Amino acid sequence: MSRNSLNTNPNKRDARKARPLNTTWHKWLGVLPFFAFALLFVVLPSVNILAGAFKTNEGKFTFKNLVGLLEPSILNAYWVTIKISLTTALGGGLLGFLMAYSVTVGKLPKPVRNLLMTFSGVASNFAGVPLAFAFIATLGRTGLFTVLLKNLFNIDLYAQGFNLYSFWGLSLTYMYFQFPLMVLIITPALDGLKEEWSEAASNLGATRAVYWRKVALPILTPSILGSMILLFGNSFGAYATAYSLTGGFINLITIVVGSQIKGDILYNPGLGYALAVGMVLVMAVMMTIYYYLRRRSERWLPK
Amino acid sequence: MAPEMKRGSFWSWLWVIIGALYFIIPLVSTFDFSLRAKKGELSFLAYTRVFMDVKFWDTLGFSLLIAIFTIVLSIILVVPTAYWIRLRLPQLRSIVEFISMLPYVIPAIVWVFGAIRTFSGAPFFLTNTYFGTYVLLVAGYVVLALPFVYRSIDVGLAAIDVKSLTEAAQSLGANWFTIMFQIILPNLKVAVLSSSFLTLAIVIGEYTIASFLVGIKGFGPYISMVGQNKTYESSSLAIISFLLTWGFMGLIQVFSRGKAEGTLAGAH
Amino acid sequence: MKRSILWVVSAVMILAMMLTACAKAPAGGEVASDDPLADLIKAAKEEGTLTVIALPRDWCNYGEAIDTFKTKYGITVNELNPDAGSADEIEAIKANKDNKGPQAPDVIDVGYGFGPQLIEESLVQPYKVSTWDSIPADSKDPDGYWYGDYYGVMAFEVNADVVSSVPQDWADLLKPEYKGQFALSGDPRASAQAQMSVYAAALYNGGSLDDVTPGLEFFKQINDAGNFVPVIAKQATVAKGETPIIMRWDYSALSDKDALAGNPNIEVVYPASGTIAGIYIQGISAYAPHPNAAKLWMEFLYSDEGQNIWLKGYCHPIRYEEMSTRGVIPADLAAKLPTFSGPIAFPSIDQINNAKQVIADNWMSVVGADVKE
Repeated sequence: MSRNSLNTNPNKRDARKARPLNTTWHKWLGVLPFFAFALLFVVLPSVNILAGAFKTNEGKFTFKNLVGLLEPSILNAYWVTIKISLTTALGGGLLGFLMAYSVTVGKLPKPVRNLLMTFSGVASNFAGVPLAFAFIATLGRTGLFTVLLKNLFNIDLYAQGFNLYSFWGLSLTYMYFQFPLMVLIITPALDGLKEEWSEAASNLGATRAVYWRKVALPILTPSILGSMILLFGNSFGAYATAYSLTGGFINLITIVVGSQIKGDILYNPGLGYALAVGMVLVMAVMMTIYYYLRRRSERWLPK
Repeated sequence: MAPEMKRGSFWSWLWVIIGALYFIIPLVSTFDFSLRAKKGELSFLAYTRVFMDVKFWDTLGFSLLIAIFTIVLSIILVVPTAYWIRLRLPQLRSIVEFISMLPYVIPAIVWVFGAIRTFSGAPFFLTNTYFGTYVLLVAGYVVLALPFVYRSIDVGLAAIDVKSLTEAAQSLGANWFTIMFQIILPNLKVAVLSSSFLTLAIVIGEYTIASFLVGIKGFGPYISMVGQNKTYESSSLAIISFLLTWGFMGLIQVFSRGKAEGTLAGAH
Repeated sequence: MKRSILWVVSAVMILAMMLTACAKAPAGGEVASDDPLADLIKAAKEEGTLTVIALPRDWCNYGEAIDTFKTKYGITVNELNPDAGSADEIEAIKANKDNKGPQAPDVIDVGYGFGPQLIEESLVQPYKVSTWDSIPADSKDPDGYWYGDYYGVMAFEVNADVVSSVPQDWADLLKPEYKGQFALSGDPRASAQAQMSVYAAALYNGGSLDDVTPGLEFFKQINDAGNFVPVIAKQATVAKGETPIIMRWDYSALSDKDALAGNPNIEVVYPASGTIAGIYIQGISAYAPHPNAAKLWMEFLYSDEGQNIWLKGYCHPIRYEEMSTRGVIPADLAAKLPTFSGPIAFPSIDQINNAKQVIADNWMSVVGADVKE
């Protein structure tokens, strides 16, 4: 029997011949539950939202909401949200990667790793009102850390120009749940880096830097990219934290959506839905960029 | 012997310590504030008040139960799918990834209204009963957790050679169930665990979907309610829910430890 | 003669029996005025549940209102989304039109300005409570679709432990000693409370009920002076000292004061030049799954008992004037409401909706109190 194991041959047809069970319907059965679920609970409500984008308050068809997307303050909102998402995806991604590296390849003791993993799980979802207040209590004008710096080291953060209620303050707060998320997602990939590879590389005379540049990072890049897109999306859709910290005074798209749908004043849900559609479009663009980058990085990997 | 150095140690510790400080300092501030319920002295009054509140226990129990169902359903849906996509249907990968990312960009509030509209009428009538509403709640959380769960599992699968494992198992006569439960899942232990962590944390703290579907029965809405009007209790509650979630995750880790050791990280 | 005595005695006995029977009739010794509602109570009890939305327990003492209603009539109350804003409540009605399940709200409590919209979009059904006539005419829809329930008055809530000299009037907010200390309780582009703060500022800083732009200018001045903190203030941020001076409805401020119980000390101050009142209105959803329970709830809220429960929560119940002329307000409750002799403006629905639009459209450009990059 010909064994096509260690299948570096991308010719899928060969692989299939070795498996007698491969009837077509059987192949699709495996993904049916997922698609059924997705259809019901992801696609249907999304279609509802899409339809809602074209309706006025009374329910009549209109393009007005989509046109409303082009208003400068709304375009600005998209831009600011994209900026903060990129910032925290990169910042959080980097710190998260370094921490995940430390407990996997860096061979810190197992208890440290377990602690980090569980803590990351909790922290990655510690968002919204409690997180905002935690940062106010730390870095606000009367925050613990601010006061400590002033009393111990005579550094007045706010006199230096720092302000928690700013883009950077919000980014700092966002990163609290971004980098644990990175840790959680990237750790399995780092686990997959074989020791034998680094040993083999050094046997062939490669320094660690070369090993990383030519072996480890290329292998990890698809996963890193995938994780960063996740971080981007996480930040892009964040609402409660931003609202609690900057009180809607920062022009983020989720807050604009919120004020259309939830608030006491503006109340134009059609526009809110149109804004949500816009958000999906932005994510679609990011995903496309991601796919392109990933395809390039996966070119040589065995499939 | 490879010139494998201890070089990693200093930097590894450094990054972990920096990360740890980042984690801990805001928590310390919250904790400090929560101790000030009694004027001028530090006390655990805010904590006792929370623990004595019946609603705390009720809502916590409710959300925990929902979380368990969500985790189980997520794993059942995602693992076979991601596995199949990698193995047989790579052309579907882009679609599945896009679907799994959609929940990210649909703000929860938009989803919940869309879902109520979709499922309250014909032919579903899901929201006419409490049970149906809970089903919708679990579905909503599975959707919410989908990006994380899918990404975790996908990354985990990337780290093991799915094709070889499957072929090897099949050539030894294994059927699909055996492959899934005895080969693939054990190798995905870490990924499954981390996605379970994420799902648990998401469900326990989630506010928007819970508040519109089940109101103050959920833990998230309970936290928000306390946060509006009880200053010190809201801080103590934040610390408590943090510790609780952490505890639950520790439990998950303990339970899985027996099987976690000695996993094949992929046969090559 | 004996026969007539017999007749008289029998008549007296029958009369006595009737009187005792009548005395026992009201269940549990309740006020006899429940009798006209007996059918409604029965129908409501059959429905068994009431679904409410957007009623935080600490807002106007709704917690006590809900609990009293529950024990009095044995009807379960399903509390949805206590933090919902008026728009959330409206959206909840719309989204649940075909749904008789537990997410469909039976009754809503929204801002005054939403009245016309409720009627236009057929979201509520008409109902006139038995005390209808004692509700002031300008606070209700003549056909009974919506009706004012209580109002609050805009005030300063000040953390007196952090702020040594408490501001007494609008102009004080501009003083340099309050640098980085003043905040609003919401985003003026989305929150009615924050909007009314700006509206109130307009009235006493050069504007009028129809001209709200001076309010925006006033906040611009506060921001330029460096006194404004762009964060949504809540009880916690006031207590922490991060936002020691905020503007809120007096009932929220007073209930914060109670909740904090001196830790820290809170002072509630009405700006001396004058302030504004905000009315909230009630309505029964046109698609209410439990219409009778909803009607009973309204009867309860508009009864003297219900109105006094709101008074306990520092809200000004809408029937206050009428109730005080009849003397049914307990003296200690009446004493709880702080007195204010300055001007209190009551804008009309059109004026409110107009002001809303102007503030929402111009807050960012005029005040520019956006979070800096």
